Amino acid sequence: MPLRGIRTSTAARNGAGAFILQCKRLDFHYCNWAGSSKGMVAFLEKTLPTFARENPQIEIRVSPRPQKHPLIKGLYINGREKPVCVRNMEPHEILKKANLLKEASGEKLKRVKKPVTSLNESVRGIWSPYHGDLRGV
Amino acid sequence: MFSRSALRSLASEMRWTAPSTISSAAPLQQRACLHQSASLMNSQQPQSQSTSSHPESPLSATPRAQDTQPKNVKASTFDENTMTPQTRAHVPIAKQPVAPTFTSPLKVTKSLMSQLPHLVGQKPHYVVAQLHARPYLLTEGDHIRLPFLMPKVKAGDILRFNRASALGSRDFTMKGSPTIDERIYECRVRVTGVDSEPLRIKEKTKRRQRHVKQAKSKHRYTLMRVMDVRVKTPDELLAEGAVVVDESADSSVIEPRS
Repeated sequence: MPLRGIRTSTAARNGAGAFILQCKRLDFHYCNWAGSSKGMVAFLEKTLPTFARENPQIEIRVSPRPQKHPLIKGLYINGREKPVCVRNMEPHEILKKANLLKEASGEKLKRVKKPVTSLNESVRGIWSPYHGDLRGV
Repeated sequence: MFSRSALRSLASEMRWTAPSTISSAAPLQQRACLHQSASLMNSQQPQSQSTSSHPESPLSATPRAQDTQPKNVKASTFDENTMTPQTRAHVPIAKQPVAPTFTSPLKVTKSLMSQLPHLVGQKPHYVVAQLHARPYLLTEGDHIRLPFLMPKVKAGDILRFNRASALGSRDFTMKGSPTIDERIYECRVRVTGVDSEPLRIKEKTKRRQRHVKQAKSKHRYTLMRVMDVRVKTPDELLAEGAVVVDESADSSVIEPRS
């Protein structure tokens, strides 16, 4: 019987049982005066009510930020935030950005080469030269 | 033109009206799927002891691949406009997932049927799922980041991988030729979101030219989580209408580990 280390009891595996959307809050900032906020103001008036209704699990905050470009900021369960500047954008482009923030995982962007990451032990175990049958060459 | 108090009232109005007017497909399906997984989890536990695992599933000649069919049960007391759906019966039939239709019943050879209990009894299982001709070795709870952006899926959707080239446990492997029939196993994954890679900039140069072109790329990828990898027991297969045949050329086989 080999010596075994202490195991952690749980590991976060969102979606394996219950699923929680990682984006918990979206902040919309705009400026009443600046021209770069024109599309954002139109978005807030027209599109945002339906967007908020379709996503009741996301808290939505709207606040002015005078003399600055409009901004959408996504806050995530892991504590990170993701700001996207939406200056001079049309409402439909802003909706795309809002959907991007909604579906994002909140993790830092990384280049990943392997498609599958597993926390489980190998199902078939590690090959050993001392076990199993002898096989002819 | 857009005062803070007006916005605040707008936001509060949105919040108040939000639960009452959920009519889009996405949250309904999500909740339906959640219920589906919960009911499946509950129904799995007694399956290990009892032989009649699905008393409500019909014994039809054209068997069903999935034990989670759109049911025609409609709750009479449920009002779609005011309540959020809790069970599958609350979701309209048109918005429920469509089960695949099969023309012939599942054919299982006698040898496969005799060896299947060994494979079923030995947990955990892995499955080599094929997606766009690429193999993904999956176990329960794995995280998948597909090398592409899957169209027409949303976060929270549940998919079934129905092309598997191999399915196995520690000592046994079922190999398909080329794939295992999707009615023998169940591999469900949940879409958890969309990820992106950091911006890549590649410098493109031509000979004898000072100009350097910068080619930028930033791809997006679909994130998934494997919900379960499950092999059905022979009793379940028979209950779902599988037919035992003597031998057939293109049937999957279970091989013990040498």
